[in-house]
Amino acid sequence: MNRGLRMPLAMLAAPLAFFVAFFLAPLAVVILASLSDTANAWTLEQYVRVLADRYHWEVILVTFRIACLTTLVSLLLGYPLAWYLTRMVRWRAWRRVCVILLVVPMFTSNIVRSFGWMVLLGRKGLLNQTLLDGGLIDRPLRLLGTETGILIGMVYVLLPFMVLAIGNALSRLDASHELASADLGAPPRATFFHVILPLTLPGVISGCIMVFTLAVSAYVTPALLSGGRISVLSMLIFQQYSSVFDFHYGGALSVVLLIFTLVMVGFAGRIGRTRGDA
Amino acid sequence: MPALLNIEAVSKRFGAFTALRDIHLHIGQREFVALLGPSGCGKTTLLRTIAGFSHPDSGRLLMDGQDIGPLPPYRRPLNTVFQNYALFPHMTVQENVAYGPRRQGASRREAGERAREALTLVGLEDLGERYPREMSGGQQQRVALARAIVNRPKLLLLDEPLSALDLKLRKRMQLELKHLQEKLGIAFVFVTHDQEEAMTMADRIVVMNAGRIEQVGSATEIYSTPASRFVAEFIGDANLVDYRVDAQGRARLALPVADLTLPAPDASDGVAVLRPEHLRLVDAGEPGQLRAQVRDIVTVGSHTLLHVETDDGMRLVARTPGLPEAHLGVGSRVALGFDPARLHLIGTPR
Ligand SMILES: Nc1ncnc2c1ncn2[C@@H]1O[C@H](COP(=O)(O)OP(=O)(O)OP(=O)(O)O)[C@@H](O)[C@H]1O
Ligand SMILES: [Mg+2]
Repeated sequence: MNRGLRMPLAMLAAPLAFFVAFFLAPLAVVILASLSDTANAWTLEQYVRVLADRYHWEVILVTFRIACLTTLVSLLLGYPLAWYLTRMVRWRAWRRVCVILLVVPMFTSNIVRSFGWMVLLGRKGLLNQTLLDGGLIDRPLRLLGTETGILIGMVYVLLPFMVLAIGNALSRLDASHELASADLGAPPRATFFHVILPLTLPGVISGCIMVFTLAVSAYVTPALLSGGRISVLSMLIFQQYSSVFDFHYGGALSVVLLIFTLVMVGFAGRIGRTRGDA
Repeated sequence: MPALLNIEAVSKRFGAFTALRDIHLHIGQREFVALLGPSGCGKTTLLRTIAGFSHPDSGRLLMDGQDIGPLPPYRRPLNTVFQNYALFPHMTVQENVAYGPRRQGASRREAGERAREALTLVGLEDLGERYPREMSGGQQQRVALARAIVNRPKLLLLDEPLSALDLKLRKRMQLELKHLQEKLGIAFVFVTHDQEEAMTMADRIVVMNAGRIEQVGSATEIYSTPASRFVAEFIGDANLVDYRVDAQGRARLALPVADLTLPAPDASDGVAVLRPEHLRLVDAGEPGQLRAQVRDIVTVGSHTLLHVETDDGMRLVARTPGLPEAHLGVGSRVALGFDPARLHLIGTPR
């Protein structure tokens, strides 16, 4: 072997082994299980079970609807928030406080935060109480156990990822491009849509991909806020692995989730490449 | 002809620091004005103020008689070539240049047409489909220029547009820019800290220092009759000689030459400027000469700089054309002569 190659290969060996052991091996186990039955014979029966059943399609639809809406709402809230943090906050200490407020929840347990939302969203929860007291509604809204409730919880959990991704793109933007745009006669709105948005699109796309993949595979938040009334794919998968112990069927469900997710992410990535390549 | 742009009493402070103090400047139609000054003297700040990116604390900006102070940058009838070009990386060259007309309401077709025209003017008609990152620095510079002139502004602001180019390309672009400016009839305000660049290109040069305008004039004027000690030292090499004004109102120079007096510009003492090329080697014994010892010889090729020290310790520089004569060396004794009419006396700064 070429001596010059030995060093780099040796250095690559450890991370490569780590990747194989902790990422590829479990995935292979899941895929192999999904392609066999309880007698360990090769079969596609698990996939037929998953895809031939209308109930599964409904769950897939709910799962992706919640994930897409979470991504959309996070984007619509996250862009202005990132804008505020990177552009409008003049006082550096206040910006730091905002970033800490944004990041600290990410260090606390998801379960704790989701329980918090259960308290806030309940029939007699803080949200309903406030709306009732304010006279905005006259009957408490049913939020717990609805997709809206799950959506609220998910956006809360995942919004920071979006804000950080977009904020990073915004803060790296070269200010002279905006000056040039204004100089050429573009009012602020036009500058935003023709210059700032396209130039931050890579950040937007990566934020969306992150939020979407986390939302589509989220378990704790939907499980706690569904009140047992709504099922998403991750909950079905968890059931199969933890209580039914059908690893073959659970594996097939996981692979279906993975493939659907990869297709969506692939699409988003393509948009990012053709439009935001700069 | 009325001025295109009147800058009246413009001042700008950043906290306790004054970046512009009481700037008065008039820029004529089709005029090429260079802003020249050391780093940090406020050139960019003045340009940003004209463009509307920076707001003066006091003073007015009139363009064709109209007060443009309240107008945001996108409503001001002028364009800017940025120092780093600021080309939009996500657009092709053609789209970059068409951006201006599009934002001004031109149809896609018309904007494309005008962009091609502007690109032809700068010699890039074949590269419209490229992205800025696929072009050399010189080509990007031309794109920035095309993008800035496509709207046919009456005034173009350029902030050190050539500073990123190598010397040869820079010389070529200086001439091209000058020709383009004459051809289009657009007034240019051109920031540079390269005096040679300012002198080759500009009709008028504005010398700035520490937020103030020191002098405005043609290249010849600021070189031969500098208005302040700063200008004399900043533009070219200068020998500065102190003088005192005597009772008869004559300036008596601190040079070891007998009976050298000149009419003083005003009553107070000051400095006189003697350019190195006006000091020449003479034969010992001629009247009105300085005796000195050579301290250093710097040969530039087309001319030679002799650094000398006079017998009473004054350091002077003389410039002689061509290579130094063979017998001259460090330590040689020389005699220097000059025409007193070449001395320029700087009066008290107003
Ligand atoms: N936004 C700002 N805040 C504080 N000080 C500033 C700001 N902009 C400029 N200055 C200060 O004003 C002074 C003039 O700056 P300016 O950029 O106009 O200099 P310049 O003449 O263009 O210099 P250079 O040749 O280096 O580009 C500098 O001392 C600079 O530090
Ligand atoms: Mg500058």
